Amino acid sequence: MLSRSGLRGARLRVVSLTSQRRLLNHFITHPPEPIPPPPPPAPSSSPSPKQFTLAVKDNIATTIPGLPTTCASGILSKSYVSPIEATIITQLRARGAVITGKTNLDEFGMGSHSIYSHYGPVSQDTPPETSAGGSSGGSAVAVANGEVELALGTDTGGSVRLPAAYTGIIGYKPSYGMISRYGVIPYANSLDTVGFLSKQINPLKELIIGERGLWKEHDSNDPTSLTTAARKRCAAQRRGYRSRQGQTTELEGLKFGIPLEYNIAELDPEIRDAWAAAAKRLQDAGARIVPVSLPTTKHALAAYYVIAPAEASSNLAKYDGVRYGARDAEGASDASAGGVLYASTRGKGFGEEVKRRILLGSYTLSSEAMDNYFIKAQRVRRLVRRDFNRVFALENPLQERETFELSDLPEEVEMEDKWGPEEVDFLLCPTAPTLAPKLKGVMEQQPVDAYMNDVFTVPASLAGLPAISVPMKVATEGAAGLQLIGQYWDDARLLDVADAVAKEVRT
Amino acid sequence: STTPPTPSDQQPQIIPLRKQLKDQAKAAKLSGSPKKKLKKSDNQTVPGWDLTVGIEIHAQLNTPSKLFSPASTPSSSSDDAVHHHHPNTHVAPFDLAIPGSQPSFQPTTLIPAIRAALALNCHIEPISRFDRKHYFHWDQPSGYQITQYYHPFARSGSVTLYPRDGIAAEDGEQVTVGIKQLQMEQDTAKTLAQPNSTHYLDFNRVGVPLVEIITEPCIHRPATAAAFVRKVQMLLKSVDACTSGLEQGGLRADVNVSVKRTGEEELGTRTEIKNLSSFKAVEDAIIAERDRQIRVLEEGGRIEGETRGWSLGSMETRRLRGKEGEVDYRYMPDPDLGPVVIGGDLVERLGETMGMLPDEEVGVLMGRFGLSERDAMALMLMEGRLEYFYGVLEELERMLGVEAVEGGEQRHAMLAANWCLHELGKLAEAEEVGEAAAEEVTSQVPEQDLAAILFYLHQKKVTAKVAKDLLWDVFRGTIATGGVTEQIDSQDLWYKEITEADYAAIADEVIEGQEKVLQDFLKFKQGKSKAYPQGKLGFLVGKMMRAGPEQGKGMDPASAERVMRVRIEQVYLPRLEDAQ
Repeated sequence: MLSRSGLRGARLRVVSLTSQRRLLNHFITHPPEPIPPPPPPAPSSSPSPKQFTLAVKDNIATTIPGLPTTCASGILSKSYVSPIEATIITQLRARGAVITGKTNLDEFGMGSHSIYSHYGPVSQDTPPETSAGGSSGGSAVAVANGEVELALGTDTGGSVRLPAAYTGIIGYKPSYGMISRYGVIPYANSLDTVGFLSKQINPLKELIIGERGLWKEHDSNDPTSLTTAARKRCAAQRRGYRSRQGQTTELEGLKFGIPLEYNIAELDPEIRDAWAAAAKRLQDAGARIVPVSLPTTKHALAAYYVIAPAEASSNLAKYDGVRYGARDAEGASDASAGGVLYASTRGKGFGEEVKRRILLGSYTLSSEAMDNYFIKAQRVRRLVRRDFNRVFALENPLQERETFELSDLPEEVEMEDKWGPEEVDFLLCPTAPTLAPKLKGVMEQQPVDAYMNDVFTVPASLAGLPAISVPMKVATEGAAGLQLIGQYWDDARLLDVADAVAKEVRT
Repeated sequence: STTPPTPSDQQPQIIPLRKQLKDQAKAAKLSGSPKKKLKKSDNQTVPGWDLTVGIEIHAQLNTPSKLFSPASTPSSSSDDAVHHHHPNTHVAPFDLAIPGSQPSFQPTTLIPAIRAALALNCHIEPISRFDRKHYFHWDQPSGYQITQYYHPFARSGSVTLYPRDGIAAEDGEQVTVGIKQLQMEQDTAKTLAQPNSTHYLDFNRVGVPLVEIITEPCIHRPATAAAFVRKVQMLLKSVDACTSGLEQGGLRADVNVSVKRTGEEELGTRTEIKNLSSFKAVEDAIIAERDRQIRVLEEGGRIEGETRGWSLGSMETRRLRGKEGEVDYRYMPDPDLGPVVIGGDLVERLGETMGMLPDEEVGVLMGRFGLSERDAMALMLMEGRLEYFYGVLEELERMLGVEAVEGGEQRHAMLAANWCLHELGKLAEAEEVGEAAAEEVTSQVPEQDLAAILFYLHQKKVTAKVAKDLLWDVFRGTIATGGVTEQIDSQDLWYKEITEADYAAIADEVIEGQEKVLQDFLKFKQGKSKAYPQGKLGFLVGKMMRAGPEQGKGMDPASAERVMRVRIEQVYLPRLEDAQ
């Protein structure tokens, strides 16, 4: 993807960016020399793949010496070099990835502005002023800054799409189960997906649906990775996988749905206008724009903030300082008499947002609260998925076909909003309700207000659907993201269509 | 002492059995022989109070791999004994909760789990799921144990216990214990305590699959609770589902105990006693806890729902933690693990290939081989002994040939069983064998050698005394494997029976001065007493056997008895009658 001279150029720019990098704080570990891919297996007739530069979010495990995996947490610290390599790292290195470093994030992926890091907040400009979004903020800045061609992020409730929107690049969250999570340090397993950040869609297409497309690769180390048989079955019901020949990205005839429930009071008018303008552009290009209703949307964010912290509280129980990571030896020995061996290690090791979510999750899983929170949230999650299945023309290959009746929609939905079977190809909506905010304001915000940023990204996460954020022109200066959501495993077409849409809405 | 066993001796001798059998024998004594009065110390009931017990048993499944990682289990690598004892050698990244590692369910673990469930008469659920149970302890690296809380893989089973299983006499002819559910879960790491409050951790055991068996609260006698645990162990072994028994650590039992006044409807508050590691501990801990609860209630106190501990030999359970110290496990479905789908075809196949269950096997041992119920149970309860018995029997039958075996007469089988239990038992009790090595006696006596000894004994080619000496020689290793025949040859130990005249001479020698005894025979002959004085005859034959033949020759007690009887009737009684 990158010529030799290009690589040399990148290296030169790296040097010139050193001081700027310090201000942006988007890398946690940045070795002086990038790490080339391993040589291909010896008797290889095929030529080495073209190399490309890659930044890796620091919650994805790397075994390379000098590249610790910190999750931006004090509890792992830079002394922790993982004994296992994430499958996605192995896959990308085999495809020519030159790793430039490990990027900053919200601790364990929990946050929307990359400010809750043991290594300090990320900014997308100098002097530090504007939020890069989170939690994959470091990866987004590395791409936006032109330091790498591709960056890996993770997306649990919007952590790739939101920073992409704030920094004006492309952020893609594949269908859940397509990309192996092995070696991706979990925040909330049922929602976590590996995500990709880039300025262009072509490299993403190449990676996912190209000749060595990742969509085909099942990983037996990840129990949630779709089996090869299931992949084939899903792909057989989709376009864009088998033959890339003659793939056109015609907008003509495509039907885009505008979810009415996404037109919320908190939506920045500037974004609302840009959204309307984008829809108009697509209509002009021959697409059909239809309103759709996703009635469970308003409960989706609440459900997300029950399920994700619940899983997080469980996943983070393993950080006790016994086998790896930082340990507060002094505190531990003091406390061991009282039987609370880990309290001090965990108390000092985790940051405030992580602690907040662990407490929240521990509460919603407690025997007294379980039924009212966790169980109900799971029910909402099923309804969210049902909403999507109802509006998409394609069926969800992982679920039984359901028949939907308009009378199934809740009473509160106005009759005029109970749209008929206008089944759509993709949903079109903003990625975030506002433009990238200033860091100062963000840091003074109440945590719950920050959760609001995820309102448009969370539903696709809950349903495991592929979604992509492409840069969308707004009236003033600043970046906004336009989000496309597709039916499950419709990633190939989503990438093709996003390419065409991006061209329409960029300027 | 009694007559030594002889080639034709069919009655198994009463030899003190090993420790493991003692409590079983005690209970059997209670139920089996109504002649003996129940002693107060048997302590199965307290008048005016009802006891209710529920039991949870954790059994290590006999599988080659851990539940969620491909790491081999320590018990599976018996081919590498050194490796086995090395700490932290059976460990995959997931077992250490390495960040980013994920569980990988090993379907082979289902085989022993399903067999265990079938042996306990359970219904196998077609779909079950895994949940996380959260608590912090250094032996649990991920901070949670993966178990099956909401959707266990098996439910609604039962185990029927009989007097031979050692149930309390008050429970009558049989008791059926309901099994609520069976769930698969992970074992924890082993803690090795060191001086200076240091703890070493061995993660070999972490993630090894366990099956947890939960009963309904439906047991009312302490002995029956112990009998239940013993029977579960026997059932699991018989289907090869678990690695080892309670006393080897492959099985662990927790009991829930409550009491109420007779006639009350509601069950009392229960306490849980954790980690009982022997059958005796199960019974004793329940008795101690029952008595403690009754004492508290009689003094007007209240029972707190709490967790208690018990150590062997103590008189009291002790409080470990109370309700306020109880952990909220925050059960959550594991988001990485899909449901376990068990097909009916698999269950059917495992059911068909499961082999005989213990109750059926006791019947076979008693019916086909003519063993006593007690000997049959003893064989089944001793580690590996039943398999050993079958091995010896097979070899013996091969040597005897088909004709000898196919008749109704199973004297050879009884002989084999008797030796497998009692003669080997004597070896185990010998001073030179430590208590720990008792289980290993069979490994020092190859099946083929015992079979050879028994073959010659059965064919009356050697005397019982010679046979026993040979067994000791084999056991001590002075006879090499396969060298029994050679030893008999070289030491000229073949049985040479004395002649009829020799028998008569010895009989005459013994009868000398026994006129009083002879009077009993005369009384019978003259119709003055109804029963033949068999005991007196035995006494005389015993004297004959002790008087013994000359060196290097053998006597058959059956021949001795026959000759003695003839001598009395044909020579001595006529003389007495003449004298009258």
